[in-house]
Amino acid sequence: MNGGDTALDRAQARLLGPAGLDEAAIGRALGVMAGGGADIAELYFETTSLRSWQLEGGRVTQGSFSMRQGVGARSAHRGQVSFAHSADIREGALLDTARAVRTLERRGEVASHPHGIALNRRAPAHALYPAIDPVAVDDATAWIAILKRIDELARSTDPRIVRVDANVRATDTTILVAEADGLLAGDVRPLTILSMVVIAEQNGQRARGQAGLGRRAGLDGFPADAVEAMVKTAATMALTNLDAIAAPVGEMPIVLGPGYPGVLFHEAVGHGLEGDHHRKHLSAFDGKVGERIAAPGVTVIDDGGLPGRLGSLGIDDEGSAPDRTVLVEDGMLTGLMQDRLNAGLMNARSTGNGRRQSYAHLPMPRMTNTFLANGTADPADIIASIDRGIYATEFDGGQVDIVTGRFNFTTIAAWLVEKGKLVAPVRGATLIGVGHEALRHISMIGNDLDFDTGMATCGKQGQQLHVSVGQPTLRIDRMMVGGQAG
Amino acid sequence: MTQLLSQTEAELRDAAQLAVELASKRGARARASVHHEGIAKIAVRGGEVETAERSGSQGLGLTVFHDGRRGSASTAAFDRASIERLVEEAMLIADHVQPDPDADMPQAESLAFAAPMPVIYADSPRGPETLLEAATTLDRVANDIAASDKRLRAGESVAVAIEGLWALATSDGFCRSVMRSNDSRWTVMLAQDEGGSISDFCQSQARRVEDLLSAERLATIAAERARRSLGAKAVDSRRCPVLFEPRTAATLVGELAGALTGAAQYRRMSFLPDPIGRQVAAAHLSLHEDPFEVLGLASGGLDSEGIAGSSRAILRDGVVEGLFLSSFSGRKLGLASTGNADGFYNLRLNSTAESGDWDAMLRMLGTGLVVTQFQGGKTDPASGNWTQAVRGLWVEDGQVVHAVNDVTLASNMNAMLNGIVAVGSDVERLGAIRTGSILIDDMQVGGRA
Repeated sequence: MNGGDTALDRAQARLLGPAGLDEAAIGRALGVMAGGGADIAELYFETTSLRSWQLEGGRVTQGSFSMRQGVGARSAHRGQVSFAHSADIREGALLDTARAVRTLERRGEVASHPHGIALNRRAPAHALYPAIDPVAVDDATAWIAILKRIDELARSTDPRIVRVDANVRATDTTILVAEADGLLAGDVRPLTILSMVVIAEQNGQRARGQAGLGRRAGLDGFPADAVEAMVKTAATMALTNLDAIAAPVGEMPIVLGPGYPGVLFHEAVGHGLEGDHHRKHLSAFDGKVGERIAAPGVTVIDDGGLPGRLGSLGIDDEGSAPDRTVLVEDGMLTGLMQDRLNAGLMNARSTGNGRRQSYAHLPMPRMTNTFLANGTADPADIIASIDRGIYATEFDGGQVDIVTGRFNFTTIAAWLVEKGKLVAPVRGATLIGVGHEALRHISMIGNDLDFDTGMATCGKQGQQLHVSVGQPTLRIDRMMVGGQAG
Repeated sequence: MTQLLSQTEAELRDAAQLAVELASKRGARARASVHHEGIAKIAVRGGEVETAERSGSQGLGLTVFHDGRRGSASTAAFDRASIERLVEEAMLIADHVQPDPDADMPQAESLAFAAPMPVIYADSPRGPETLLEAATTLDRVANDIAASDKRLRAGESVAVAIEGLWALATSDGFCRSVMRSNDSRWTVMLAQDEGGSISDFCQSQARRVEDLLSAERLATIAAERARRSLGAKAVDSRRCPVLFEPRTAATLVGELAGALTGAAQYRRMSFLPDPIGRQVAAAHLSLHEDPFEVLGLASGGLDSEGIAGSSRAILRDGVVEGLFLSSFSGRKLGLASTGNADGFYNLRLNSTAESGDWDAMLRMLGTGLVVTQFQGGKTDPASGNWTQAVRGLWVEDGQVVHAVNDVTLASNMNAMLNGIVAVGSDVERLGAIRTGSILIDDMQVGGRA
């Protein structure tokens, strides 16, 4: 189990105990912050340690370890947020941080909680991921062995693979959230990520392939077959791209494969449905809740409670349980993702999407696991339906402009399709479009919903978080494709 | 004096030296780098404070070298117990990794024991009250400008101040520290018409408040950038000349510099392999690096290995003269460190070709595309294949005809560098890079049809 008392015990051992803090001390600091009549007064404690090893050109010659901890103190009076943070969490520093927040509020001296806040509310336990510490594995040979295995596997795939770089990193994070409404909740968030890049070379041409696997588990969460599949993905991508031709240019139909290409919905839909962009009337979807924004059959969901996905959270960073929020249902815009601040200002409730990169960052409405729900089409029929277009299975990230809804993605694995057949791999095709237009042009949705392999991250206002994205194979009738071909 | 820092240079040096001393006792050579920043940030929108932030951060990074192997560890706490744990973890790593003869500390005689340190700190008022006044003024000016045009709406106005300290100690008895400051302001402007909304912004960044653009300039530029983007449409696919505004031109200069870093070179992940002495760009171009510019945004007296950089030509007449090397990447290439373990210092792109101000550059462009913003895309570092989705302006006979969006731009970095026809006199400083607008003769635009 995780969350509940398990996480509180861990937080006590990792954070509070060493700093000489107890619940009463946290309550006193919250009392200082809540004194001005704040709508939100919150302390967020975090301790994180990280271990990583790198394989470069066949050798594991680098490793690193890091540890940090701290507390972020936030208050909000309607829309005005005051925030201070400190790497020192002993009681004196904690009280200084709480007072710094009061100073930033500029609301004068009003002390209404001289005895502090009683922390008598708890969050329930959860079983989404284990309360383990993957960093504690002090047997360095196990980490190094998995990297060497990746190197051997990749090189034995094909003699044209000339370089293999790989990385394994494990993170152990324990958080503790205390709110002026009496909530004290903790969570233990293990994370291990394997990633690799290979270079293939043939007749002076070089091409790159990449792959990775991320799980809320320790090294034992990476069985041999999963590692082999990852290596195969990277090697195949590089070898395929050796023969890539220039991408075509112009408007054409596209087919996106299952899994990571679901980042389309993260960028083109998800960001525009975050509560803060609506409160500030910045989103291209502003005022469209309840309206049709996509073709019938298009259902997009954000669900922070999916087992095994990196966007899942036992509690969000404000102590709220994650919801399953249906953002688009059968083409109609139905829901927004909220944190406490924006929900409070929009007369809504938090959907458990309040997330932050660390104690030193402010929480915002952020996505968890965002995906397009299954349709009924056979994926093979979808590809066969294309007269001339692009079939893409992997992107190298993507961006969206919230205000205009314009998004773009660059492919790293894509093919030119003619008369329903894959003709040749294409290199570096950039797909661009406007969220609400692309949604209307979805004409076929497959029955093969899949998710990314645990490598998806999302950046918003400089804060990076792990998320998950997914979709079945789908066809979009019109999309602008940009590439090198004239 | 500082209003943001809670630690002194002496405290940072002590922490760095303690880490080195403890590692030395374990028989290792070691290098420790310690940083501390104090930050204040105020964001105002529509006359109301949105966020007020006051924060401090710190970290100590240790690298140990032992029997031809190395290990690295870092901590955010500087107490003795944390530093002891750090040494333990770094030694553990060094005990297990494979040896790498290139991963050693630089020779002591190459360290910048007494080299000059450029001034990168200026005493300016940086407390929350100062920032509140700056952000409030900027917000008021932005709203005044927005009120004069009903298509405009002011977004947030932000003032940020940072003061930082950095100390470096090594087991060769080296220990130096430096103090820096950074002030920035930005404002966001939204423009709307029947075709939809668009937002743009203007930011100013400097090491002292006096060097920042005025609130009027920031808000006026942000408003103009947002307004000129209205009515945007795609153009047909074609080949044509392209003019990069300084904001986007700086990204091209950054990609050129990135291809000349030691890491890109020894990993052969550079579209400019074996570049020294080779012509890689148009012969009228030169690129100069200067670590010592007073109050430069990328100035520094030494890198994180303790080696000083130098004022030098990276590119002269289109020919590569220098790389950006650390001692590690230098050894991999059989060369000495250039003091660039942390990347490049201030760079300036110069051209001897015919040049001119913005209007003159538009005339030289004739008929073609101006790139005002990158919206996302990719440069393949190995091949130099370059594709970007862009926002910009369509120009005919030197006159702006309409705003452009939903187009991609593609070429190869090698062709682009050789295809640079002119660099404008409209020079801007964008972080480490100074450049005017860049005119490239021929690129592939992907748009409608």
